[in-house]
Amino acid sequence: MKKKVMMIIGATKGLGRALAWHYAKKGYDLAITARTDSDLTALKRELEKTGNHVVALAGDMSNSDDVERFVGVVFSIYRKVDVLINNASIFGPGPELLLDYPNEVFKEVLLTNTLIPYLVTKQVLPGMLMEGEGIVITLTSEAGQTGFSGWGAYGISKFAVEGLVQTWANECADTGVRFHLVDPGEMDTEMHNLAVPDCDYELDAPVQRLDVFDFLLETSAINGSREEAIVYQQRGEN
Amino acid sequence: MEVPPLLNADTPIERFGKSREDVRLLTYSKNEIYHDVFRNLCSYFQVGDVLVFNNSRTIPAVIKTVEGIEVRLSRQLTHHLWDALLPEAFSGDLIFETGVSARVIGDGSEKPLKRIQFTTRNTSMLNNLYLQGDVVRYEHSAANWPLSDYQTVYASQPGSVEMPSAGRAFTWRLLNELKKAGVELVFITLHAGLSYYGKDKWPTPSLHPEPYVINAKQAQLINHAKAAGRQVIAVGTTVVRALESASEKGVVVACNKETNLYIKEAYQLTVVDGMLTGFHEEEASHMRMLEAFIGKDAVHSVYKEAIERSYLWHEFGDMNLIMKESVR
Repeated sequence: MKKKVMMIIGATKGLGRALAWHYAKKGYDLAITARTDSDLTALKRELEKTGNHVVALAGDMSNSDDVERFVGVVFSIYRKVDVLINNASIFGPGPELLLDYPNEVFKEVLLTNTLIPYLVTKQVLPGMLMEGEGIVITLTSEAGQTGFSGWGAYGISKFAVEGLVQTWANECADTGVRFHLVDPGEMDTEMHNLAVPDCDYELDAPVQRLDVFDFLLETSAINGSREEAIVYQQRGEN
Repeated sequence: MEVPPLLNADTPIERFGKSREDVRLLTYSKNEIYHDVFRNLCSYFQVGDVLVFNNSRTIPAVIKTVEGIEVRLSRQLTHHLWDALLPEAFSGDLIFETGVSARVIGDGSEKPLKRIQFTTRNTSMLNNLYLQGDVVRYEHSAANWPLSDYQTVYASQPGSVEMPSAGRAFTWRLLNELKKAGVELVFITLHAGLSYYGKDKWPTPSLHPEPYVINAKQAQLINHAKAAGRQVIAVGTTVVRALESASEKGVVVACNKETNLYIKEAYQLTVVDGMLTGFHEEEASHMRMLEAFIGKDAVHSVYKEAIERSYLWHEFGDMNLIMKESVR
């Protein structure tokens, strides 16, 4: 039987990196991408030591040509993707009031963060629909439901991402393909350091927030659900 | 048959603010011709009929060497080997801008194709193809439309060097409508090679192998429909070629191989009851396939009518539904 294939967008840092290791160890073949080629190549070499196949190509997944290339090469090699994790996003400047926000950066953050899950999902989805199964998990944030002062375009883009995933889920109801949002909560990552530079409390590592992904992949969760990683972490600890 | 230049569709219909499914539809069935819009396609089928699509995705198959020599890939034989179209006098090594190189090792499946061997690994070669390559274009195109214009909305398996264009007019809205109406949708894969070598030279189907994949589930759906007396309609000549190649006494067998089947007038179709296709040049082998469906005279009358009614030709053009029996 062919191995399951997981595609991770934004795989070299933080949660994406933790996911890549976790599912490589669980026996998934991986398709990973990030913008920096050297980081990606180094990660691929390490991940291959688990004995699983890793396709790694650098690119900007908010650019449709890069998406065509990455997803094209992945399908040429694996012929399928079972699980897509839309993890990549950018934060923009550190805490910045909207009144002070640079206009061009506002556009860039909104576009980047909404185009990535739109473009990648759009190219991966037909293959999943033809198989009649597949799971698309897109990362969100509490800032995608509540506006926080200083989080600028990042939080606003996550509002858009939540709408995008709800729309995908609704349009693909009863197809066998499931869409989920995961709010990983606060973690010790580069992005958190940008968002909360003076953080004076202890943060969990991304690897502590992976139980929710196992739950979504191993059970038949409801299409369109929004999950908070902390809930599953507490369940695991109890 | 003289197709007025005005009837060459040179622009994707979406560029005019319309939908892919807004192209026109000419249907031929038992000596009758009907004129319609493609978005009404659903009304031509009944519950249990099967539409078979080719889900092959177009790759950018034209690459230039550092010296500016254009190489058109036609068929992948192994990870490293391709049949390709090169300038006739060329010999030696091909060095591409991104550092990938290839070598001519002999003749391809037919003249003027050559067999070339890439010296890089498959992933790297494909990646470079996407980074540097361009889509195959012909002179009827008004502009250098992007690769996305040469994809069907359901394309998922990269490998065709030209778009299996009969499916271009479908939208997901229409696919969902067909599904809701009880029409079975089956997606097989055939990677289409070059359809034109230039200088009025066209591939000879028997010397033009194309790889195709039909799995057991897909074969079963088609066979089940045939057994129940339902119609099997191929979306495109590539699908007709694959299904008839995979047929053993009218039963489709799952397979993953190459076909060099040449379907022409005397050929007895055993699986396919109808086909959706665009409008083709008279010299193309596709026309011989249409003759296998309805005979030479009927094809002539359909094309005469299409010209009189200004249907549009080529991959961005209008659609033609040809049925062996009557549409119900």
